[in-house]
Amino acid sequence: MRLILLAILAMSFPAMAREDMPAKAWLENMSQALREQEFKISLIQLQSDHIRPLVYIHGKVNDQEVAFLEHLNGPPKNAVRVGNTVTFIEHDQPAYSVHSSRIQGVIPAALADDVSKLEEGYQFVLGGRSRIAGRPGQLVRIIPTDTNRYGYQVWLDMDTYLPLRFDMISVDKQLLEQLLVVELLVLDEVPAILKEAYKQEWPAVMSQSDRDSGEDWQFSWLPAGFKVLIKDQHRLIGSKEAVEYIAISDGLANISVYVAKAGEAPLPEELVIRNGLSLATERVGNAEVVAVGKVPAETLSRIAKSIMLQ
Amino acid sequence: MDKLGQEWVSAAVDGEIDEHTLAELAADADSHEQWRDYHMIGDAMRGELPKTMSLDLSASIMAAIEDEPAIVAPQPAAEVSQPVRKSSGKIIPLFKQFGQYAIAASVALVAVVGVQNYNQETLVESSPLPVLNTRPLIGSASPVSLQTGAVQQNQSYTNDQVADQRRRINAYIQDHMLQQRLNNGVNIDDNSEADTTPVAQ
Repeated sequence: MRLILLAILAMSFPAMAREDMPAKAWLENMSQALREQEFKISLIQLQSDHIRPLVYIHGKVNDQEVAFLEHLNGPPKNAVRVGNTVTFIEHDQPAYSVHSSRIQGVIPAALADDVSKLEEGYQFVLGGRSRIAGRPGQLVRIIPTDTNRYGYQVWLDMDTYLPLRFDMISVDKQLLEQLLVVELLVLDEVPAILKEAYKQEWPAVMSQSDRDSGEDWQFSWLPAGFKVLIKDQHRLIGSKEAVEYIAISDGLANISVYVAKAGEAPLPEELVIRNGLSLATERVGNAEVVAVGKVPAETLSRIAKSIMLQ
Repeated sequence: MDKLGQEWVSAAVDGEIDEHTLAELAADADSHEQWRDYHMIGDAMRGELPKTMSLDLSASIMAAIEDEPAIVAPQPAAEVSQPVRKSSGKIIPLFKQFGQYAIAASVALVAVVGVQNYNQETLVESSPLPVLNTRPLIGSASPVSLQTGAVQQNQSYTNDQVADQRRRINAYIQDHMLQQRLNNGVNIDDNSEADTTPVAQ
């Protein structure tokens, strides 16, 4: 017991120097670690009644970031990233590549990006320390500046700054989604699988040039920090229904707004889906505006109401 | 082989000698080759040469005759191999026959099925007739459809409408998730299947 206490004491000494490090510096260090270190993390993703085990391996081959994400349960579902190309390999469709700087699906891309982009909508506050995955962790709260979005908590490994736990929390402090690392291995050299992935020929990046530019939609109101990323016209993947599409984001929360011909049965005005995703509908004449995203349903409803054609 | 001898053989080829000299010639083995050559030259000039020919027939025939006794022993073996060939040759026709029977049978089956279908169709076609006849007694169709329309409006949702609603919600959510992958630099959203169990509405 004393040995353990001594060990904890010994471990806390190098951390002393980090005592006065502000929360933002912690996040910046994490961003850098996610981009530059070579590591393998085994983690689980918790979403109400869903638990998914995943493995994420990251490294650098010939100065290019190479990453590999694997779903461990169920049918094979993998993603490979080489440089700025991400290839999704799934059982139900042929592999396809997209141009992207991160693999979507594990650690939010914003956390490996420039964290100062998040400052318009969130505040960073240093929290306590706890032990996660057998390692000392430092909590950094990412607190929303208003009630239009959810809050986040991230625990960082005090040695490597890599994330150990990531929570999404509702306005009334309920846990919506959690990423929990169960094992973190810092690698001395690039694992063979990443070298293989680097050499492999992946399908060519899907052309985005065929995106029809959409109408000039404007919003009379958007929560602070939210920006329009993309406007286009396309057909929904499942129903082939033609829609006008607008993507907005504040860095962490992404919202899709659709304008389409209203269906026979009206969609629910507000709907909260278990994994933290919400959906809101606003009917305008014979058209409907649908907003989807991981933000409170009231925010989506307000956004759907504020859309207008310039 | 002197010049005189050659002329002698040439005359024999042309049939200008008597039988006695011909017998003499047959006995003279040295002249046989020339005899054959003259005949061949004659054939070539008359254009009567076969398309393929063995240039040394006599030698090959002699060789064949000399080989003859050696073949006597392996003959039974050759006979054994023959039936094998015969049977393997028979297999294909056998299958062919089966195929033909099968085709014939299937044609018959199709014919039977076709007749049955035809019968059923006639049955189905004949059955609605009384219903059609009774309809005018009940009344015209238009008020009925009006009434059902009114009923649908009064009811909140039918099963079809709920299914349609769910399908459309799923389509939006799936598209939202796909867009997260396509939109460069935009983050999160899982690869999870859309679970649209509503928590609050």
